[in-house]
Amino acid sequence: MKRIAISLLLLASVAAAPAQARLKVFACEPEWGSLVRELAGDKVDLDVATTALQDVHVVEAKPSLIAKVRAADLVVCTGAGLEVGWLPQLIRQSGNAKVASGAGSFMAGAQVKTLEKPTALDRANGDVHPDGNPHIQMDPRRVLIVARQLDARLIQVDPANADTYRQRGADFEKRWLAAMSRWKAEAAPLKGRKVVVHHTSWVYLWDWLGVQQIGALEPKPAVPPTAAHLAELVGTTKSNDTLAIVHAAYQDSKPSNWLSERTGVPVVSLPFTVGGDAQSSDLFGLFDSTISKLVGAAK
Amino acid sequence: MQGLDISILGPACVAGLIVLSTHVPLGKQVLGRGIIFIDLAIAQIAGLGVILAQYFGIDEHGLGVQFAAAAAALAGAGLLSWTDRRWPEYQEPLIGTLFVLAATGGLLLLADNPQGGEHLKDLLVGQILWVSYAQLIPAAVLSALLLMVMWLRRGRLTGLLFYGVFALAITASVQLVGVYLVFASLIVPALATVGMRGRGRLAMAYVIGAAGYVAGLALSAVLDLPSGAMIVWTLAGCALLAQLLHAARRSHPARGATAAVLEAAE
Repeated sequence: MKRIAISLLLLASVAAAPAQARLKVFACEPEWGSLVRELAGDKVDLDVATTALQDVHVVEAKPSLIAKVRAADLVVCTGAGLEVGWLPQLIRQSGNAKVASGAGSFMAGAQVKTLEKPTALDRANGDVHPDGNPHIQMDPRRVLIVARQLDARLIQVDPANADTYRQRGADFEKRWLAAMSRWKAEAAPLKGRKVVVHHTSWVYLWDWLGVQQIGALEPKPAVPPTAAHLAELVGTTKSNDTLAIVHAAYQDSKPSNWLSERTGVPVVSLPFTVGGDAQSSDLFGLFDSTISKLVGAAK
Repeated sequence: MQGLDISILGPACVAGLIVLSTHVPLGKQVLGRGIIFIDLAIAQIAGLGVILAQYFGIDEHGLGVQFAAAAAALAGAGLLSWTDRRWPEYQEPLIGTLFVLAATGGLLLLADNPQGGEHLKDLLVGQILWVSYAQLIPAAVLSALLLMVMWLRRGRLTGLLFYGVFALAITASVQLVGVYLVFASLIVPALATVGMRGRGRLAMAYVIGAAGYVAGLALSAVLDLPSGAMIVWTLAGCALLAQLLHAARRSHPARGATAAVLEAAE
């Protein structure tokens, strides 16, 4: 048994030898893993730290995570405080200076304008993050900006494959722009509609679609809502011709179902990132599924 | 096999041994007193101390947090030592009540704390793999001091002294390895050696603890599973193995007779 294991390992290392020159990319979230695949194809080795069915604020420490970051040439994460509970520790434990800062560290949130960014004065007014809301992946316009910047970064850290990255980047942009106009047309009936959310993780999607968020079940993360807040929310939801109560696939559906029972407004569970439902196998599928589920609720 | 690397597992392993050094002898006493959930209560009270400190504007990353946590834990220890004297027969339910009060007190305080984020509650709960050697130095010094106190008192800590030493040990260890591992390090080796006597028991409990940590870290690297949870299970596995070996040795007639005589004499 042991001998088989050892020979398998040797075989694996031999097979991996020619790939040694390949760029090793570590992505924190599935959406950026998917984007790296779009832009780099099989020119890079890709590891994705989390799945769509977990809360990326919290990650259980595994030795393999440290080993993967140690080996990485490029770390692609959201930043803006999303991974603050584990990424700094992970990078410190890995001792990999290459990805701690500079060209080896790509933070998607830093490439775009974030929403809900507090000014110094209202920092004390709520559980807001100093760098703004980090859930930028739900706006295709921002995804495109991130894609352009990430493509440039790939060219910078792996110039040997620059032509591939350039060509794949241009191809992605063409397909993405076409998909965006399709989504926008499909989502036309959503414009101006009102939604209630579980957490305020959808601001970028609403910003793009022109949907109005009128309330949140848990406005502060991990702090249970008060009875007064819920009573008010039932009232707002009922009196506003609300389209849907939206939660992410990884979130508990109990609070949304509770509100739905009291108001008759349907619950919509959205994938939130790549892998969040069967249809969301890549970034295109993520938005196909999101739009069709919301439009389905509007019918 | 990725991750089976001494530079990744080394600090975690040392952290485990430091935690075991104080928790194994303390665990014996906790088990003897029948108050096994006291560690959860103390950890929760220390967390409440940190949330309170935020109210008074103490920087959440500085040394102030450590003092707030230690002060709250010691205050909780003082309270428990008093209830232990006053209502010894209700100590266990009182500890449980204090635990839920501290946990829900945190929720009430955070409900309208302007910066009440979830990270505050996690501030005092560490994950063993994130430990760095620099973090281990203060923990090692504290453990050495606590061990010295225990040694000077020949392992017999009474009243306030027991609760005080316990509070400081728990506050430090929860930040290194998290509550699950603290509970397991405290209770499992002590429970596994319950039928044994004297110095041999302490040594055996240390061996079980150390074997559990090393096996758990190695397995978590090989199987690619979260380290903290894996160690809890290997600790329990080592404890079970030790119990089986112990039982097998006792059932051996010659050894069994001697053991019985010695036990009667003790």
